[in-house]
Amino acid sequence: MVGGLCKTFLKCLIGQHTRLSRDHLTPELILHLITPACHLWHASLENSPLDDPFWAFYWPGGQALTRYILDNPGLFHGKTVLDLGSGCGSAAIAAALAGASKTVANDIHPVAEVAIEMNMEKNGVQVKPETYNYLMCQPTPSQNTPKFDIILMGDMFYDPDFTHLISKWLRSIHPDSMVLIGDPGRLPFRQHPLQSSLKCLHQYNLTKTSQLENNGLTQASIWLLHEPR
Amino acid sequence: MSGLRVIVGCKRVIDYAVKIRVKPDKTGVITDGVKHSMNPFDEIAVEEAVRMKEKKLASEVIAVSCGPIQCQETLRTAMAMGADKSIHVEVDAATYENLQPLHVAKILSKVAQEEKADIVFTGKQAIDDDCNQTGQMVAALLDWPQATFASKIEKANGELTVTREIDGGLETIKVQVPAVLTADLRLNEPRYATLPNIMKAKKKPMAKKKPADYGVDVGPRQSILKVEDPPVRQAGSKLDSVETLVTKLRDAGLVPS
Repeated sequence: MVGGLCKTFLKCLIGQHTRLSRDHLTPELILHLITPACHLWHASLENSPLDDPFWAFYWPGGQALTRYILDNPGLFHGKTVLDLGSGCGSAAIAAALAGASKTVANDIHPVAEVAIEMNMEKNGVQVKPETYNYLMCQPTPSQNTPKFDIILMGDMFYDPDFTHLISKWLRSIHPDSMVLIGDPGRLPFRQHPLQSSLKCLHQYNLTKTSQLENNGLTQASIWLLHEPR
Repeated sequence: MSGLRVIVGCKRVIDYAVKIRVKPDKTGVITDGVKHSMNPFDEIAVEEAVRMKEKKLASEVIAVSCGPIQCQETLRTAMAMGADKSIHVEVDAATYENLQPLHVAKILSKVAQEEKADIVFTGKQAIDDDCNQTGQMVAALLDWPQATFASKIEKANGELTVTREIDGGLETIKVQVPAVLTADLRLNEPRYATLPNIMKAKKKPMAKKKPADYGVDVGPRQSILKVEDPPVRQAGSKLDSVETLVTKLRDAGLVPS
């Protein structure tokens, strides 16, 4: 949790370095993002005042997942939803717009938590931001991930180090939870052992801006995880 | 022929904008504290491989660099440009001074076999040693066709149609994959790596290898005798009239008197 004064500072920093953007697959949502019009877009990592601003980019897997939620609101209405690695919070915000009964936007990055709050306010919905690290925790029976009807993972497979952590974590979640994954064909995902347990639900073409942000990628797909996990 | 696997050779060289200085003992050039970047022709090869991926012609782009630890920066750049993963074949700085195109070609061809590559792509030459050998040697070692000095690459019925820059003109050839390609200057204009791409590239997989992992002996096959600066040009002089110029030229016997 980020304290009051620090939060105000972070909000200023986020406001200063991002633009409110609808230039993505879900123009219904307005989001604080680093766009080609921001100076940070062309900056080097060393010159960025924001440490690894992963949340300031609308990752293609997250865009596709959010689009899927907005196009299929019935699936999410009245459901409890966990958006893991929420980033800018888009998928959680879309689930809340679709009428989910409870939406948790989880991202371990403390600045992401603030950005999610700002984006949630801009879109006039309530989601619960949290920074708990589900992947690194050692779940005991009492500490198991609380039961969610739907678990969302938008572009979580960019880091090969997460591979086995995600597999391990998925074994700890409630067996009735529906797991939806958005991914643009990143290598660690294509080579993930989960591949045999996935069903492709939909494929989206990325916008031009998203392609510029993700050299070499042109599409993103939605996958449903089914048994066995 | 969709889903080609492309290996791209990425050499770390002294940046093109840096003024090269020869070591006082004439054994080579000064590299310490000098800005390095990816060989510009290799950058063109990476760009083309990424475009092939964007056109769904390639499925995976693997950047490979042989050399000291700093080569990892070069590989991160290749991944920020869109390569999916990379392999750093570490060669210590002392050995690297004598690493030659044959060694790199042997390593690249082993990587190509191990990764089941369909295309090995390199720049036509590196701007430091100007060797222009690696691509051709890889083709020989693998017994693959080669399309060197490529300025345009198109896919046609299971083959690649490649336009080559040759002396005074262009040559268009067809090659079957697997093949070796080398990039010429006019093939494309490489993209700059922007922050979102640099950030994501930090997390892309980079395998660390040694030449011995590929069974390649990197002992030198040639020895460098001497590296010299180009001869210094004689200074000119400024004359105050055309008459003086004509007199000077006549005196030098450059115009008939």
